[in-house]
Amino acid sequence: MDLALPPVADEFAAAAERAVVGMGGVEVARRAEADPTIRTTEVQAMLEALGVPDIDPRADVDSAAVAGELCRIAGRHVLPFPIVGYVMARPGEGVPAVLASAPPLRAEHGDLFDQWVVHDLSGDVGAATPSGQRMGDRLAPFTTDLVRQGPSRPSDLVEVQYLYVLWASYLLGVVERALELAIGHVKDRVQFGRPLAALQSVKFQVADATVAVDGLRELVRFTLWRVASDPGHALADALAARLQSLEAAQSVLRLAQQLHGAAGLCDEYDISILVRHVQPALRLPIDADATSDLFFEATRIHGFESLFSSPSDHDGRAR
Amino acid sequence: MDYEFGQEGDQLRSDLRELIADRLPPDFLGAFTDEPGDLAITQRFCKELAARGLLTLSWPEEFGGLGGSLWMQTVVREEMWAHHEPRGAQYMGVNWVGPSIMEFGTAGQKALHLPALAAGEEIWCQGFSEPDAGSDLSALSTRADRDGDGWRISGQKIWTSYATMADYCFLAGRVAGSGDKHDGITLFLIPMDRAGIEVRPIKSMLGPHHLNECFFDNVWAGPDEVLGPVGQGWKIIRRTLAYERVGVARYARCDRLLALVGRELEGTWDSLAPALRARWSRALIKVRVARLLAYRCVAAQARGEPSDALASVARVAVTQCDQEVAETLFQVFGHQSLAGARSEAPLHGALEDHWRYAQASTVASGTIEIQRSLIARSVLGPS
Repeated sequence: MDLALPPVADEFAAAAERAVVGMGGVEVARRAEADPTIRTTEVQAMLEALGVPDIDPRADVDSAAVAGELCRIAGRHVLPFPIVGYVMARPGEGVPAVLASAPPLRAEHGDLFDQWVVHDLSGDVGAATPSGQRMGDRLAPFTTDLVRQGPSRPSDLVEVQYLYVLWASYLLGVVERALELAIGHVKDRVQFGRPLAALQSVKFQVADATVAVDGLRELVRFTLWRVASDPGHALADALAARLQSLEAAQSVLRLAQQLHGAAGLCDEYDISILVRHVQPALRLPIDADATSDLFFEATRIHGFESLFSSPSDHDGRAR
Repeated sequence: MDYEFGQEGDQLRSDLRELIADRLPPDFLGAFTDEPGDLAITQRFCKELAARGLLTLSWPEEFGGLGGSLWMQTVVREEMWAHHEPRGAQYMGVNWVGPSIMEFGTAGQKALHLPALAAGEEIWCQGFSEPDAGSDLSALSTRADRDGDGWRISGQKIWTSYATMADYCFLAGRVAGSGDKHDGITLFLIPMDRAGIEVRPIKSMLGPHHLNECFFDNVWAGPDEVLGPVGQGWKIIRRTLAYERVGVARYARCDRLLALVGRELEGTWDSLAPALRARWSRALIKVRVARLLAYRCVAAQARGEPSDALASVARVAVTQCDQEVAETLFQVFGHQSLAGARSEAPLHGALEDHWRYAQASTVASGTIEIQRSLIARSVLGPS
């Protein structure tokens, strides 16, 4: 039993955090709204310098952990780039991947790449190109419609599982940062002659959010290990991480914004940018309730390993 | 990263399940039932575990253990709680009484108690809570007054589990002359048959002889019965509570009951309301998250870095999971869940038993509000 991240993942996370913070952190997302070209000229250039195109999450557990940490760091700053799809591009091919539900197919920053690999939830995979249609200004500033090109074929469950868990890792980063921002605010903000952090209602809510974030962190790490160490047999695990990340994001982001008061609604504050920019990730390709349905179905078909699940719950494999 | 217990852990788990299946009746629900024979079963089972070295598996060999890893102890913990704790009261001795004596006890105290605990022959109760000192434990008022080279202890303890069957009490009292309320608290290791101790059972939903009041009337404590420095007991209590908070693998019973009910539901899942299927799904995930947070504490303990904050995070997740799973399982069976009789009730009453115990989980060993306060202090700082 070894719950620690591999050193290579820790080191990569530290380097990625330095690089993103060096560019301005959440400020990059703010600037990208005014000048979307920096997503390529600055963000993609930074990722290439970090060696992201050489990472293949499918290679082994260490590589999966590195990819997970990359997505987490991107989530901390809502980095304006399709980081999950980009790291899932096959080395040498450079075509990013996205999960999509029924048409219209949509991808975050879909306009940045001419070609996409689209895994839809009915179990097919195919190629797609951006249509040029973008969704919204405030809650989906970089979400783009995609158009299917050519025939589909059965999707590879391994790819789908990595996409789910890497998105969960991205959302882990978002909630980690949201909680840090909330903690910083309630320690600084003085009302009734004392910091908000001195109020028991605030303490208890921060404690509950801490449990949610810590629990998600442990679950995401475990799921990365499951997906990487037993490829193709962890669909329910990946959906569990996805569901937990959506629910943690909804509760922690709501709390973090509330604790900021009116300031939390203003773009000057990072929490506002986090809350706005993460919305597509909470709903694409499906939201928490639909994910819950998929998870339930997956547990019936593939099982969900636990201390007392029977071997027959696991496709006939030994536990 | 590796989340496997390995061959040693898997073998231990398999051996324990075999032993449980062989030695316990299939409808066994722990020591606190109306069947007097259940208590005797736990006592026999403990001695058998002890004879196999499994009762105190992770203790150092010099104290009667096998020197096994905390992860192996975790396997024992999970299997025992999942199967309604057939160790009875002994789990406390293994989890926190023994480790506290190892850390703070004298050579004489270690020699007196640790081998007996390891042999499954000594049952302890915890004399911490008082009528006016529950969550605010350091407000305890049980007095320990000097008398020659020893002490005379007077006061009342409450919610004391296992007091009717305990051989010793891990008793917190206050010596005179202290200032700060944390100062002066002193721990005593007192035989329960000593003159001046009276135990009165409290009728509760947890079952017969679980909760008790204990009255101490001028009870003698010798100088060799003080654990750690006089007046410095608060530090020991905090360490003891940290051991205790991760010592009960409540998530393991949730896991087992969900698995058992899940097998009963095979072929009929479609008859469950969609909202209940969603609740079931979330319960499965909550159990996994609770287990992982508990493992994080074990990992910290194994590194020699036990943490109050990590223990509290795990405790909040585990106890909330316990209650959520209890309610989810009740909803699956509706009002049939309320039947307590073993023969009629779903899973011989295991769900009813679990639901009743789960109600206590956010109160026992420090309320969930105290756990939240400890977590908040760790992330927000003292205020």
